[in-house]
Amino acid sequence: MFRDALHDAWFRLRSLFSPRLQKARHEEELRFHLEQQVAKYINSGMSREEATRRARVQFGSLDAIEEECWNARGVSLLESFLQDVHYAVRTLLKTPGFTACAVLTLALGIGANTAIFTVVNSVLLNPLPYPNPQELLTARQNDSLLNIQDTLNQNRTFASGGGINVLTMDFTGGPEPVQIHGGYVNAGFLQTLGVAPMMGRLIAAAEDVKGGPRNVVVSYGFWKNFLHGDPQVLGKSIPLSGNSYTVIGVMPRDFTVPRERADVFVSLWVAYPEGAAYRGVHFMDVYWRLRPEVTLSQAQADMGEIDQRLAERYPDNERGRHTTLLPLHEALAGKVRTALWVLFGAVALVLLIACVNFAMLLIARAASRQREIMTRAALGAGVGRLVRQRLTESTVLALAGGGVGLLFAWTGTKVLLALKPVALQDFSAIHMDSAVFLFVFGISLLTGIAFGLLPAWSAARANVADALREGTKMSGAGVRRSRLRNALVASEFALALVLLVGAGLLIKGFWRLRSVDPGFAPANLMTFYIALSATNYEDTPKQTAFRRELLARLNAVSGMRAAMISDVPFGGGYLTHNLAIDGRLSPAIGAEPEVQSLSVMGDYFRTMQIPLRAGRELTEMDREGQPLVAVVNQQFARQFFPDGDVLGARIDWARRQGPHKWMTIVGVVADVKHSRLNLPVDPAIYAPYAQSDEAWRRWMTLVVRTEQPSSQTVELVKKLVWSLDSQIPVSDVQSMDDLMALSLAQERFNLILLATFAGLALLLAAVGIYGMMTYRVSQRTHEIGVYVALGAQPADVLRMIMRDGAVLAATGIGAGIAGSVLVTRLMTSLLFEVTPTDPAVFSAVVVVLSFVALVACYIPARRALSLPPTVALRCE
Amino acid sequence: MGEQSIELPQGTLDLLILRTLALEPLHGWAVSERIQQISSDVLRVQQGSLYPALHRLERRGWIKARWGTSENNRQAKFYELTRSGRQQLEIQRTAWEKLTAAVGRVLETT
Repeated sequence: MFRDALHDAWFRLRSLFSPRLQKARHEEELRFHLEQQVAKYINSGMSREEATRRARVQFGSLDAIEEECWNARGVSLLESFLQDVHYAVRTLLKTPGFTACAVLTLALGIGANTAIFTVVNSVLLNPLPYPNPQELLTARQNDSLLNIQDTLNQNRTFASGGGINVLTMDFTGGPEPVQIHGGYVNAGFLQTLGVAPMMGRLIAAAEDVKGGPRNVVVSYGFWKNFLHGDPQVLGKSIPLSGNSYTVIGVMPRDFTVPRERADVFVSLWVAYPEGAAYRGVHFMDVYWRLRPEVTLSQAQADMGEIDQRLAERYPDNERGRHTTLLPLHEALAGKVRTALWVLFGAVALVLLIACVNFAMLLIARAASRQREIMTRAALGAGVGRLVRQRLTESTVLALAGGGVGLLFAWTGTKVLLALKPVALQDFSAIHMDSAVFLFVFGISLLTGIAFGLLPAWSAARANVADALREGTKMSGAGVRRSRLRNALVASEFALALVLLVGAGLLIKGFWRLRSVDPGFAPANLMTFYIALSATNYEDTPKQTAFRRELLARLNAVSGMRAAMISDVPFGGGYLTHNLAIDGRLSPAIGAEPEVQSLSVMGDYFRTMQIPLRAGRELTEMDREGQPLVAVVNQQFARQFFPDGDVLGARIDWARRQGPHKWMTIVGVVADVKHSRLNLPVDPAIYAPYAQSDEAWRRWMTLVVRTEQPSSQTVELVKKLVWSLDSQIPVSDVQSMDDLMALSLAQERFNLILLATFAGLALLLAAVGIYGMMTYRVSQRTHEIGVYVALGAQPADVLRMIMRDGAVLAATGIGAGIAGSVLVTRLMTSLLFEVTPTDPAVFSAVVVVLSFVALVACYIPARRALSLPPTVALRCE
Repeated sequence: MGEQSIELPQGTLDLLILRTLALEPLHGWAVSERIQQISSDVLRVQQGSLYPALHRLERRGWIKARWGTSENNRQAKFYELTRSGRQQLEIQRTAWEKLTAAVGRVLETT
């Protein structure tokens, strides 16, 4: 029995896959039969003509027999499917305009979706590139190495833990001195991430002590670019920031540090023992790996106890200590989660609009082919077969759309990543994989079936007799179908409105953000980061000599004005110090106010064009040996001297060992945004570099204002720096405009994408309503002809048609407003100084959409009116 | 001539074809000729039903087709009985005999 079934299936398949050969064989067989019959008749005495005629008559229709045989061979089921596909492709190719429209519409929707899904998939859904990533935690707060070590010793929940702080290092082993990113770590850091080195080994715990061996683990990129990919590199020495380090390991190519970029890894205890021994300076990013079977809440409870013990033991530094643990993936993806989901929602809307357009195209096509289809139904084609055929057609279209969409997506993803959203740089491996492919295939198939079913179903329900009669236009099916079409157009408008409102809110927020005054004039400013080595510039006088000489040489260049500051605005982080004010009771230790502490030299405020609000600026005379002075910002004055008696007050850093070195406040300058335009300004103190007693402030950023082209300036500055000391790397050369743009990168990324999608949605919706109105007007051409012939004024007819469209548009817009109010709340965190229901944005969007609807209705209406009534009346 | 022939009852064509092929492999024309001959021109097989029947039997695996050379040296498709076809023939023949005997008995008793 089973063998029979197998034979049966095999036979059907064979017949299916070599249809041409099979057909030829059948014909051959039947022809042979016919000839034999003819020969027989001739033998019995008939003439050849008579014999042939007889045989043919007896034989009947060759085609019919063949068809019967074909069915007998049992291929009809499979074959009719292939026939449907064949038929679909053929008819689609016959109407290239329609096909291109449908495929492109879907491809846009599917392509945009896939591109975003690729990112969502890589960022939100894929695991991190570390072994057992679900065990990895990080802390919301930075910590010091001593605290990390204590936690490691006291905890019961962590398998390992470690911290990293990335600082600049100078690598002087190449042709030019370069600044690289040095990861100062403890031995546990790389072990916790769990990635094995490609070559060599990691830093061992025994080496991670004060005075331990100067060993370095390098990244793949550093090994490739600066050590020439030397396979014998292990054990060799390289010069880093004035010391010689032995290379003991090379990390694999795809290894990255979360949130940071590090070229080399050195032990903090070895490379910077002073920093390692500070308990109160929390500068390390901390990572923990859970023991197996331990939950986050258990770890958090454990951490809470340790926090309490540390706070009791070291009240000066650790009072009120509270460490919040969170999964590493959460920490990395959290920043972009809302933005990505909003974008994903937006593209889903675009896809929906595309699908609606697709469905409308199919409906219009079905309507124009109504007679053909009904004729076939009348000739006996089964309803099931007809629906199946239509479905095949729409599925073929959808899959083609998916294919083209995949191409779009591939390009789209590249463009997306080329925009380099800062928050995405943790996820180096954003690529399309099988999940993405399945996703595309799935939505294509679903689109084809779901949106093909709609018109196919409504067409199948139509009455054959009605359709064959001439007056199809007002038949029941026609009304039903036009109701469906109306609903589709209205929903397109609603969806487009939601997207446009979303984009409008982002644009307004971005515009607000852009127009925030940073407090200085960013145009024509270049910035250069320079750090002096500890070996050659160990004390302040040496550093001051270098700085003073460098500024003198720079300012000697005509048309150039240069100054320097420790942490330039938009250049990254900044230092804070605890504040003490002369004559006021100092607050409890651990509760002192924190202020931004900046060192400057040269005419910094004039160079940056930061306005002076009171007192005087710092001058060349505020130097070593002179009375200590400082300038503060307005926020400082507001916060600590609300009565306005700020000038002449004396301040210093709290907790100074020994007597205070009071600085007198001599001036107040305007507030300057430091890290992001949407963050408030912190109180800040500007003090002269020359009067600083913090010799470890060896870094500075040159700010140079010049009208010269930037490339010339860069060369000149480098030359002047190296004329003083050829071992100093000049890095992070950037114009102030670029720095500020960088701080807005994420906002810009969101904006560009959402605006693109909204534009796409508007375009699709416009095409949708235009196509729909054109179709409706063409259906009513006859009617319009009658009106005009009866003396209706063009204006009346125009009004009648426009009313039709206006009702649809208004319905859609109304629904869209309701939808937007519900949806835009989700984007609150992405908006700056804009409420999610901003009336201006809403009204602007409504105006734009109404205008589009108006134009889309007006053009076909105008065209119908321009037909002479005689033509219109004859038009069917 | 046409008026002498009898319409074949449903399902008997398969049996006749199997029986004819039990003697030797034949091509389609010869099958119809043989049936006509043996039945003394009483049974005539229409081409319109012969070939679909042959294909159906082939699909079921009861007969096998193979291209060979005909008596007048032409390429022709020859059908032969398979092992399961032979079994099928016995089954159908028994069923047919039972049926005709029963029908005969019914007709005789009046």
